[in-house]
Amino acid sequence: MNPTQSPLERDVAAMIVSTLNLETVAPEQIDPGAPLFGTGLGLDSIDALELALEISKRYGFQLRSDDEDNRRIFASLTNLTAHIEKNRVK
Amino acid sequence: MHEPGNSTSDVLLWRSGAPLTRREFLHDAAGIAARLPPGSHLLNLCEQRESFLLTFAASLLARRTQLMPSARGEIALRELRSAYPDNLSVTDDDVRRWRTAPYGGDRTADLAGNLSPDPGDTVLVGFTSGTTGRAQPHAKRWRALSRNAALDAAAIRRALTVSEDVPVSIVGTVPPHHMYGIEFTVLLPLFGNMSLHGERPLFPADVAEVLAEPAPPRVLVSTPLHLRALADSSVEFPGIDLIVSATAPLDPALARVIESRLRAPLLEIFGSTETGAFASRRTVRGQEWRLYGGVTLETAADSTRVSAEWFDGPQRLQDVLEQRGPGGFVLLGRDADLVEVAGKRASLADIARRICAVNGVVDAVAFQPEAAASGVASRVAAVVVSRGASARQIAEQLAASVDAAFLPRPLVLVDRIPRDPVGKISRAQLLELTRGRAAGD
Repeated sequence: MNPTQSPLERDVAAMIVSTLNLETVAPEQIDPGAPLFGTGLGLDSIDALELALEISKRYGFQLRSDDEDNRRIFASLTNLTAHIEKNRVK
Repeated sequence: MHEPGNSTSDVLLWRSGAPLTRREFLHDAAGIAARLPPGSHLLNLCEQRESFLLTFAASLLARRTQLMPSARGEIALRELRSAYPDNLSVTDDDVRRWRTAPYGGDRTADLAGNLSPDPGDTVLVGFTSGTTGRAQPHAKRWRALSRNAALDAAAIRRALTVSEDVPVSIVGTVPPHHMYGIEFTVLLPLFGNMSLHGERPLFPADVAEVLAEPAPPRVLVSTPLHLRALADSSVEFPGIDLIVSATAPLDPALARVIESRLRAPLLEIFGSTETGAFASRRTVRGQEWRLYGGVTLETAADSTRVSAEWFDGPQRLQDVLEQRGPGGFVLLGRDADLVEVAGKRASLADIARRICAVNGVVDAVAFQPEAAASGVASRVAAVVVSRGASARQIAEQLAASVDAAFLPRPLVLVDRIPRDPVGKISRAQLLELTRGRAAGD
């Protein structure tokens, strides 16, 4: 268990790893402040699409890429988790 | 949104503000053409649809040959620059800068005609990744591209049951820089009396929002992967008149789900970088493809030759097709080495070769497991024998030379690759190795 991850961050990290089949990464290894896309975990737009679907199923809201904060939202596990926390309806 | 007083047939590009008319577009493209530094090749690296389209049109006006690499990684672009030393890269920033500088010439009336080069001119060079890792160039003459565009436009209008003079709006989720994207999101707006939405929406909610903006009839140009995601989402979509899918064969059951969720007929397109689009089908009606008019096939056990009078010569595809009467065929097998993910293509042999090039790796196989449940081909997986390098180190090194869409997931380390006595690799065993790994995590 990674003490730097909050409980919701742990859930979101586990969701990222299971949804995207990132078997070389353990959820607790994801640095909450490190970038998820490009460098860092190396995720791309297909992954973003898969994550958006999973987020809408688990947390009940739709991601949008025209959101001005989009870059910030996907910048790190911490930011994505904060966005989920703010918008979740379940 | 479109202005009530403005005829929709004048619109070329839908945007969040006022739409860009054909006249404004041609004026801006001519301004860019006049500012291009000298040279004969051009590398269109624009990410925005609007600047990509402007650069494409400027290149036609300036009679340049555009290079369309299938991958845009650092290494791929370096290889391209060394093969075409006089090429000029054009980016979104260049277009923005060139557009804001005033351009005095306004010969828009002549420009529409000037947009079409001579039939024999090489307008662009597409690339496919060969098994050796060297990108194979495919020169496209205007004769072929213009026929492709006319045939695609006719296929869409036939499916929509509208005549040639009816303007059609396109919303695309695919990038513009491979043959499917060029035909359906670049050539159709420029030459098919169609308009394009300037956005490339990603998430289902984005797609729904963008689709609501252009004037109907609206065509959604997408891929099986993206359409499956849209169908899976709980988003409500506005009126779509036709869905176009290409890049990977679509399962008929999934096509039915997509048609009922998006409430629109789905037209599937068959083609390749070598030939462009050359057949279509209504997937829900059956497996059989209908050839575009003027295209003929010669089928063999392991490949197919496709001919049309606008090709430079017959084109050989690794796909195994079986003819069904005049003008029809079914697909028996795709080239086992080529994989397509989200409109990008790569060679499995090339990916395996690049894995083997990583320090510490002694053997590797890349393959694409089918995702039977979803009916959509999945990502590339790899089984690797390594003496020292961890799966994570291999993945990190690969990222420098392999497009993110093809980075193997899962990448499983094994003691040896299961080859039979003649050196063949059992697909079933590969699947078992990767499945066992995923379950064991």
